Amino acid sequence: MRCSDVERLWDEMREGIEPAREHVLAHLRGCPECQEVYRENEGIAYCLTCLPLVEPPQSLVPKILEHIKATVKIAPPDSLARVDSPLGTLFVAFRHSGITAVALDGGEGEEAIVARLQRRLGRGLVPSSCPPQWVTDIVATYFREHKTDLAKVDISELTPFEQSALKAAASIPPGEVRSYGWIAETIGQPTAARAVGRAMARNPVLLLYPCHRVVDANGQLNQYACGGVELKARVLELEGYRAKVPAGVASRPR
Amino acid sequence: MSALAAPIIGDHYRLTAPATVIPSVPGPESFEAIVDDYQRRLYGFALRMTGNREDAEEIVQDAFVRAYRALAKMDPQQRSELRLQPWLYTITLNVTRNRLRSKRPTNVALDALADPDALLNETQEGPDQPEQIVDRAADMVLVEQALLQLPMHLRAAATLRFIEGRSHPEIAEILNQPIGTVKSHVHRAVRILRRILGPQVGRIAPADRSAAEEED
Repeated sequence: MRCSDVERLWDEMREGIEPAREHVLAHLRGCPECQEVYRENEGIAYCLTCLPLVEPPQSLVPKILEHIKATVKIAPPDSLARVDSPLGTLFVAFRHSGITAVALDGGEGEEAIVARLQRRLGRGLVPSSCPPQWVTDIVATYFREHKTDLAKVDISELTPFEQSALKAAASIPPGEVRSYGWIAETIGQPTAARAVGRAMARNPVLLLYPCHRVVDANGQLNQYACGGVELKARVLELEGYRAKVPAGVASRPR
Repeated sequence: MSALAAPIIGDHYRLTAPATVIPSVPGPESFEAIVDDYQRRLYGFALRMTGNREDAEEIVQDAFVRAYRALAKMDPQQRSELRLQPWLYTITLNVTRNRLRSKRPTNVALDALADPDALLNETQEGPDQPEQIVDRAADMVLVEQALLQLPMHLRAAATLRFIEGRSHPEIAEILNQPIGTVKSHVHRAVRILRRILGPQVGRIAPADRSAAEEED
């Protein structure tokens, strides 16, 4: 054991690590310099532990709580209902202003879905065992007519760009598809096709805002949030869309 | 009992980790318990890091607001995995860092942190005579000043290790650094303090605190 080791091991020894302790002690016996270093280190540690504990002012706790109340607005949680559908169980988040999220179980499991929705919404979710009639009606209407009363879907917390892209997607008739570029042009930002792609990928309200009707310029289905492309194909099929096979240049949507 | 067998820090350290159960849905009511449990600890830490009571107060406020925001966004899974104490230290340290950075160059105004009243209330030492207490306060100011001369990252390591009494693994978690790095920072901090405080150390620390003399 060298002197530098002793200096290095000093602090560990304070935690009572035995093997190191024996070695260090053996070294210390024969090394006055290290004894000195050791003594000084102990002295420093002692000085630091002696610094008085300064009490925070009595007013600190109320101040902190006031500060939190004044600066943090925590939104009340949305409700979350499980609604049966032809695509399996749908997870539907809602509050009085409308439905705020719809998720499908693409195999990730309920817990993961709830966690993902909470992150996306930025607030909590409280399970609702018996969803109100208007919620189940909206879901039923979608599967019957592939249409949604968008006044009952709340996307007001998305960015303005996301909102306008989703509204443009909602103008695509059921049974048809459009490209990301088409949406970009429709909302007056013809160069923003990629951003449209991102906005579609971040669509919290699957099905009701039909991001599934938005596909690649060459007709490839590209991606879908939960469950991937197969699910997207199934949703489109339910709406009466027939993808031309093989999907490629020939089936270019306008 | 020798200094080696019983690390000084164990005798002195007065705050034990409060066993706060993290509420599953933090609201203003349940967060209050966390604030109650940790405000003294975080305030003490911020004070040693900045040397300034006003700064420490604002840092702690800011840190709790950040913690509250973050907790409110976590799902139950994330909250159950959260190690509250190191996490709160980390937030406090980040706020401290930002604050000190924006204040540079720091002209550290010592706020007479080591006031004789606080020392009078200490119970660990025998009854000191008033003049000894005043001497001691002066010594403590020296120690405080020395600590504040350390670079930020070394000061954080030394403060967490010796004043807050945290273990190497917990400090590693707080600083988000490997344990080896933590040890070397602690070690470098002590080495610098040794250089700054030098001869004063012998006067402040009791003489019987050396290892070699205390062997059986």
